[in-house]
Amino acid sequence: MAMSMLATKFHVPAPRRHALARPRLVDPLLSDSREDRKLTLICAPAGFGKTTLLSQWVRRVRVADPGVRVAWLSLDAGDNDPARFLNHLVAGMHGVDAGIGSGAKALLDATQAAAAEPVLVALINDVAQAGAAFIVVLDDYHAVEARPVHDAVAFLLDHSPPQLHLAMASRSDPPLPLSRLRGRDQMTELRAADLRFSAQEAGAFLNECMGLSLSAEHISALEARTEGWAAGLQLAALSLRGHADVPGFIDAFTGSNRFILDYLVEEVLQRQPDHVRSFLMRTAILDRLSGPLCDAVTAQGGSSAVLNHLERANLFVVPLDDRRQWYRYHHLFAEVLRARASHEEPELQKPLHRRASEWYQHHDLLEDALKHALAARDVERAGALLEAVLPAIRRSRHDATLRGWLSALPDHIVRGNPVLSVFYAWLMLTSGDLDAVEERLQDAERGLAEASRDGERTRNLPGGLKAESEEFRALPVTIAVYRAALAQAAGDVTGTAAHARRALELCGPGDHLSRAAAAGFLGLAAWARGDLDTAVPTFAEVAPNLHGAGNIADELASTMVLADMWMARGSLTEARRLLEQALTAADSAGIASGPPTADLHVGISALYCESGAPAAARAHLESGITLGEAASLPENLYRRFVVMARLQYLSGDPGRALELLEEAERRYLRGFFPDVRPIPAMKARIWIGQGALREASDWARARRLSAGDELTYLREFEHLTLARLLIAEQEADPNGSLGGAFDLLERLLQAAQASGRGGSVNEILVLKAKAYQVQGRVGLALEALEQALIRTEAEGHVRLFLDEGAPMIALLHKAAAERICPSFVSHLLHAANTGETVPATPRGTDGMPVQLSERELQVLRLLDSSLSGPEVARQLFVSLNTLRTHTRHIFEKLQVNSRAEAVRRAREHGVL
Amino acid sequence: MTGHMPHGHEPGHYELRVEGHLDDHWVEWFEHLELTRASDGTTALRGPVADQAALHSLLNKVRDLGMVLISVRMIGPSAGSVGDH
Repeated sequence: MAMSMLATKFHVPAPRRHALARPRLVDPLLSDSREDRKLTLICAPAGFGKTTLLSQWVRRVRVADPGVRVAWLSLDAGDNDPARFLNHLVAGMHGVDAGIGSGAKALLDATQAAAAEPVLVALINDVAQAGAAFIVVLDDYHAVEARPVHDAVAFLLDHSPPQLHLAMASRSDPPLPLSRLRGRDQMTELRAADLRFSAQEAGAFLNECMGLSLSAEHISALEARTEGWAAGLQLAALSLRGHADVPGFIDAFTGSNRFILDYLVEEVLQRQPDHVRSFLMRTAILDRLSGPLCDAVTAQGGSSAVLNHLERANLFVVPLDDRRQWYRYHHLFAEVLRARASHEEPELQKPLHRRASEWYQHHDLLEDALKHALAARDVERAGALLEAVLPAIRRSRHDATLRGWLSALPDHIVRGNPVLSVFYAWLMLTSGDLDAVEERLQDAERGLAEASRDGERTRNLPGGLKAESEEFRALPVTIAVYRAALAQAAGDVTGTAAHARRALELCGPGDHLSRAAAAGFLGLAAWARGDLDTAVPTFAEVAPNLHGAGNIADELASTMVLADMWMARGSLTEARRLLEQALTAADSAGIASGPPTADLHVGISALYCESGAPAAARAHLESGITLGEAASLPENLYRRFVVMARLQYLSGDPGRALELLEEAERRYLRGFFPDVRPIPAMKARIWIGQGALREASDWARARRLSAGDELTYLREFEHLTLARLLIAEQEADPNGSLGGAFDLLERLLQAAQASGRGGSVNEILVLKAKAYQVQGRVGLALEALEQALIRTEAEGHVRLFLDEGAPMIALLHKAAAERICPSFVSHLLHAANTGETVPATPRGTDGMPVQLSERELQVLRLLDSSLSGPEVARQLFVSLNTLRTHTRHIFEKLQVNSRAEAVRRAREHGVL
Repeated sequence: MTGHMPHGHEPGHYELRVEGHLDDHWVEWFEHLELTRASDGTTALRGPVADQAALHSLLNKVRDLGMVLISVRMIGPSAGSVGDH
């Protein structure tokens, strides 16, 4: 039943039997090349024949081009929910061409709150690929008021391929970039003045289509009185059919000041037999009409026959399907009928709505039942209906729709219903109104306590409704999960873990979403404490449960977090395996163009950077960026800038790297994740690598860091950066002391070892080795280095060593001489020579050949040209200052003082 | 009144004038605005309107009935202080 109701939404109305062919309007629409015009807009008040014209045009287009695809959507207030609108659009297009919309549908199914853009992009690509002309008709577009839906349509217009054409009918100008489309001649527009019937058209309509035989004088009088308004002419024709006194009617009508609709509808109604008249008045409350539904509402039989009669008599019913099961009244006519009915039979309105509601309920169309229950002010039943329909609407993620229903219910109904209270709390939680959440959760708990006191085990709702008791039974779990989320948002790690643990205790094995959420909160809380031994196995439960709940997009997004945890544990290979596996899964789920696919690419890119494979890193970064921001989760967007910065740094442009990190800072959103690698500390590491120690120590001071600090995991990255700074200061001033660096490293090491943070252990060992090397204590340095090498050889963590610059390279040479981990060391030294090494490395100590970074080589090649400095900078997309930095490094490395000398020396060394 | 609310966020009395004489049955439809038929063949709909959103919803009703809207004006600041008729 629900499916056939949905189908009525896509029904292309057959041109009306008595409609007038209007070649003066349709012909220009046909001859306008659809390839150049993106939009046909028919904009006029109610009753001007917009829908009729569109359907006539569609029929003619099909005759002229049988291959054309037409998807017709009759919009209504429900389409203000963007998720619902997108679902309708995709289903409508998929319905006429099965080759279109599978990807978009997969995205809608896989995503918790589907972003519109990837879905639209998938649709657009399908249409472009299919090649056939595709017309999407959006009828009654004025029903849409929600900005996100307008944005989606504007996006579709902006990006529509030549094959795709939009046509819309609306009572008011849609808030779309119309002036731009007009300016570019990309739009065909018909307005009220165009749609108005001319005297000649009025004559043809009245006499030929409606079978009257009026004189030219009468025709022109009617045309003048109705001002060519189609609905007016049609009503006049209906009133005149079989009228004994035609001149009398026309005189009275044209001489009356009454609102034309009042006058004519009354005329038409008076000419109906009593039973038809009362049928019209009593069924006007219905958006859709079927025989059985009307029988129930009017409490009389024979409605199907009445509907057939109305259609044959052309009395403003529009068939909604080919089998003549469902009809609707012409909107304008329905509104007049409703106004009259509520005036003439006010006491009947509530019972009518109640009967409609009950009929819909018994036919499992619960949303329609809910709507009429609200109209009947039957709030108890409305609350029960909302509870019953809630699981289904939540599954289809029509959040805006639910928000609308909830706000239509009186507050005491919501508060008295535990399921609705918890759902309300969820809405508050997702909209960021955290203060309101706890109160609603307490309302729910009160309701639950009463229910259990009454011994109510199954959920019997008023009106014989049975809600999905699953939802009800799961309430205590859901409440605990939301409390965990609240505690998380408040930064209360202990509270988060306590509520999450309670949720896990309470929930059954099949309650996937709650399990995923609880495991997620517990895992994240353990991660924030730095307890990776707990965090990894706990958080690993998240993805399978999200998978079990059918939430693929979030499953993949959670894999990003798990990969980060494996990275903290020191396993690049496991992190990469997880991300690559997720990428494959995204592909086979058909959501390769949606979130979080771009994030997965960026994550893999970051890992390739660390294993010293910049080419692979670049390729993945590019894939991620090409997919666009829409294929990323907002809280992951900053990551692409971090990786870009990393690659720029590795290719010898620390200035650009710093700029990109600043961009990353601007994009940073914490979300639910602990900030374990703060971006300012990443910047400090670049300063340290460049020898800009003053900037770095300003940072350390601003962050109040000192070697004697108490240690927490959330500051570990900063403390490791501080240790680097202390070592670099010693390196710069051999008379200085290491300022407690060894003690700091030792304490960091113990903490990291105790909690399974293998990645930190590796980094600390490398820093210890470097510190000893800087102090000239080579034996101890090699000892620490050897431990680090053994631990990381299998992971191939190249940058861990090479990032530490010249002292580390020198130490690695010594390790090579001592035959320590010979194959990994030779791999590292090879990478140091061939890969992109750290910039600003002091030139060839130990008689090493001159090493220029890839970026420096690019600069050098351009210096070997007639381009001026600013031109070179432009060519490289860098500032003049950055170019100067590069040039200075090149001059230092080549030990020259001028551009010409640099080029000559580079040739001698075979670098150019 | 010590301060002034931004325009339109408080209730006000409005008059909508449309072409043609409306029948009485529209009174309920237009949320019980007072309906006055003028000798020039127009109808004035007068009464309190909660805020701008409510005003726009009234205008949508006028639009959806294909009525010709002639004017909209505010005729009084708040409920209970309607002046002219």
